[in-house]
Amino acid sequence: VATTGFREGHVEVGGVRIPYADAGQGAPLVHLHGAGGLRLTRAHELLTRQFRVLAFELPEGPAPEHTLALALATLGLDTFNLLGTSIAGAAALALALQEPRRVRALVLESPAAIRPDGRGADLERRLAGLATPTLVLFGTVDDVVPPAMGRVYKALMANCHLVFVYAAGHAIAADRPEAFAEVVADFLERHEAFVISRAQTVIHP
Amino acid sequence: VKVSFFETVRYRAPEALPSEWPVPSGSYDPDAGAQAYRAMIERLEYVEELGFDWVSVSEHHYSPRILTPSPIVSAAFIAAHLKRITIALLGPIVPHSNPVRVAEELAMLDTMAQGRLVVGLLRGTANEAMTYDLNPQEARERTDEGMELILRAWTEPQPFGWQGRHFQYRTISIWPRPLQQPHPPTFALGTSRESCEFAARHHLGCGVSYGPFEVMAKATRYYREQCARHGWQPSPEQIVYRANMLVAETDEDAQALLRAQPNQAPFTMRAGVRDAVMTLDSRNIAGEARAPVVSGALPTTFVGSPDTVVEQVRRCREVVGAGVLDLSLHPPGSGDLDPLMRALELFGKKVLPRIREI
Repeated sequence: VATTGFREGHVEVGGVRIPYADAGQGAPLVHLHGAGGLRLTRAHELLTRQFRVLAFELPEGPAPEHTLALALATLGLDTFNLLGTSIAGAAALALALQEPRRVRALVLESPAAIRPDGRGADLERRLAGLATPTLVLFGTVDDVVPPAMGRVYKALMANCHLVFVYAAGHAIAADRPEAFAEVVADFLERHEAFVISRAQTVIHP
Repeated sequence: VKVSFFETVRYRAPEALPSEWPVPSGSYDPDAGAQAYRAMIERLEYVEELGFDWVSVSEHHYSPRILTPSPIVSAAFIAAHLKRITIALLGPIVPHSNPVRVAEELAMLDTMAQGRLVVGLLRGTANEAMTYDLNPQEARERTDEGMELILRAWTEPQPFGWQGRHFQYRTISIWPRPLQQPHPPTFALGTSRESCEFAARHHLGCGVSYGPFEVMAKATRYYREQCARHGWQPSPEQIVYRANMLVAETDEDAQALLRAQPNQAPFTMRAGVRDAVMTLDSRNIAGEARAPVVSGALPTTFVGSPDTVVEQVRRCREVVGAGVLDLSLHPPGSGDLDPLMRALELFGKKVLPRIREI
């Protein structure tokens, strides 16, 4: 994990050692990586401009959310933003369901938590009860999880926004880091109000 | 084949116009304009009566040559006056547009016209770069992204945001959606590799225009290859060929009409502007580079008596593979209506009934 400015650390919970990378200042943003393992991208760097980004190795086992909840408490992170990528979408949702007060906002990057073949049905049934502000991102050329799955989260969750990232595949943050970081940061800062543009178009005022 | 009449409004200038493009709007005559739009409806009633399948409209700006800067307005006006014919909107220039607005307007129009809409989406001709300050180097990318957004806006059931390269929206949820589901028959218009690939990827039709059969066939062949790569085969109706046709009673008369055609576009750009367009605008036919058309006249690929033209249509069907011909029966920019009406009648009575089964 050699990306500028990131420090490597680890936290121990019940004998389990969880490595993480940490950089930036501001509200904490906890990232749970996808199947490729913990890899830092330019998107992480961009997000450190506004957030303290903590990218964790996903603990092994059937319910990583329990271990993570304890690990984050150990690090003194009472409340935090949570970003789950691909297969970690399920862990991120489970953590948000387990700790609704602590997770301020949730971002799911190409989540694989609910699959077209019916996998994830248990989690799917619990989503209606989750009020956490949630942003679901899918790349328009995702060839791992069909982007049309985005509408399932949007339809089920009370406070969910769905955004397609054009020309990005399954690894949105790697394919379009600036676009990814911009929409994630705006959402984490403003939650549902991010639908109202603050972009300035005036030139030579 | 199906046959489409390309309607360009036929503005007849009361006085000679400056030949530079853009044409100063001060030289526009409002009464002549009103007359042109009135006459358009009368003409199209006749087109419908003759049995044309479609009437098509296009988007062009800043000159009287084709008086439809907003093809959606033209299409809506035509749809309100004609009850049977399919309205082919070929099409909104996507890189100029707000794609969400285009999706909304086309959905409205499809619904208001009771599902009589056909849509072509395109990058636009090289001269349109001056319109709305479109950077020719960005036009291709904006077109692809805009087309994809239009398709998504038509079909996505939940409100969604779009984090594009050229377009960004946080919330899109259009009402109405199109009457034709999931959306009206849609074509990606153009001969370029990118356009053919987009059409193949999204199961859209393909539209080519004006070039000789063999050249257009390069594009349609490439399109069919790409469709096969994506696991499907387009129907003949999914390939449109827009062309100029000069039909007359005899081959000699038709050849005489051809000889009388100008070899320059009626309104031309200043040399420096043309050079800038030539430098910044890159085009291709199925991947083979070609120069953008900026001031030259467009070729006429059907010329002759009804018998000759029927044979040319047969050959075109074989070579280009187009199941829809979108025709100008008289130079699109000409306001001289008598020859157009003569050609229309001749075509409608002596050609149209004979090419249906081709």
